[in-house]
Amino acid sequence: MPVTVHVADAGVDDSVLDEVFADFTLLDGVFSTFIADSAVSRINRGELKEEEAGDLVLQALHLCRQYERATDGYFSAWLGGRLDPSGLVKGWAIDRGCSILDRHGCENFFVDAGGDVQTRGMSEGGGPWRVGIRHPVQKDKVVRVVLASGLAVATSGTYEKGDHIVDPHTGREADELLSFTVVGPDILQADVYATAAFAMGRDGGLAFIERAGGYEAYAIDRKLKAKRTPGFDVLCDAISA
Amino acid sequence: MKRSVIVTGAAMVGVAWLVSYKVTPHTAGLASALPAQSPSPNQPSPSPSDPGSPSSSPSPSPSPSPSPSPTGANGTFTGSDFPNRFGDVQVKVIISNGRITDVQPIQMPQDRAQSAYISQVAGPMLHDEVIQAQSAQIDIISGATYTSQSYAQSVESALQQAHMG
Repeated sequence: MPVTVHVADAGVDDSVLDEVFADFTLLDGVFSTFIADSAVSRINRGELKEEEAGDLVLQALHLCRQYERATDGYFSAWLGGRLDPSGLVKGWAIDRGCSILDRHGCENFFVDAGGDVQTRGMSEGGGPWRVGIRHPVQKDKVVRVVLASGLAVATSGTYEKGDHIVDPHTGREADELLSFTVVGPDILQADVYATAAFAMGRDGGLAFIERAGGYEAYAIDRKLKAKRTPGFDVLCDAISA
Repeated sequence: MKRSVIVTGAAMVGVAWLVSYKVTPHTAGLASALPAQSPSPNQPSPSPSDPGSPSSSPSPSPSPSPSPSPTGANGTFTGSDFPNRFGDVQVKVIISNGRITDVQPIQMPQDRAQSAYISQVAGPMLHDEVIQAQSAQIDIISGATYTSQSYAQSVESALQQAHMG
């Protein structure tokens, strides 16, 4: 998963960015289901108990439980009997990265991991950070540009037809959506909401985001039509050809 | 605090109705910022059993649907004069076959006020858009990982059949 850290403030030492990347590597080593030795992989093999896996795991799983309740189970780290907190850890890692930058006095930056991003302040040009929402089919194009100065943007979804998202309540595939983008103040919340809303399907997901308050969403379906929450357009740049 | 809900419908099949209404500025709060009903030449006549809502009466709850119609959805426009601190707002609502198909601003308050206004009014009126494909200048891209070439190809061919590709 590519991680990009971009700091617009002048005079920021490389060591600050190194600290951010080191934290990502640390979290990856603990939570990745692709790393055989990670705590999560060992938990899934029965070699380690959740409660004995250390502070980071405890913290993450505590957050996962809170969000599972908040999303009525549509976000869950324990789907299918297997532990996979990656839907939360990505946003959490970005948030931790921003805290590191905050501590070092940075005010204008973004931290982007796998297409989810938290922004702060302005870009070098003096304007908001321009976050493009990727076109699901024409991958070199964007469908919208969010103007973000302190906002987070998280997109969940898949362009892989075989990768089905299952509605945890019905067991049926929630297959109307290609992608679901959430924009709001906090990346951890946006990330979890994007994951949960994707599983709810287009209209349910949009309604959920509206009820939650403080966040806006843009949902693209398999017919390449999009619906969004009413406050979404005003967050974006004008559409140009 | 006055509230109003717009319930729309059309008793005629296949006809697009054009309605416009206008609010004037007021100092009260956001919760009542919904458009007032103003009878306009374009407003569709309410169904026969409904004498029509006078513009001065508050309507705290949706109007009940007076009579069934072959197209299903049926109802009346209701609204009352209601406070809007953001300024003049005018929208055009296009309805076809009993369904709102579009809401277009004619006059809107600016920026955040617009957003707040839209959230109050247009909540139930989300509409589809065909997505654009822009080559815009951006700093960051947000999107799921693209992994399937064959899916993209099948989507593109479907779009071509629909004359949208």
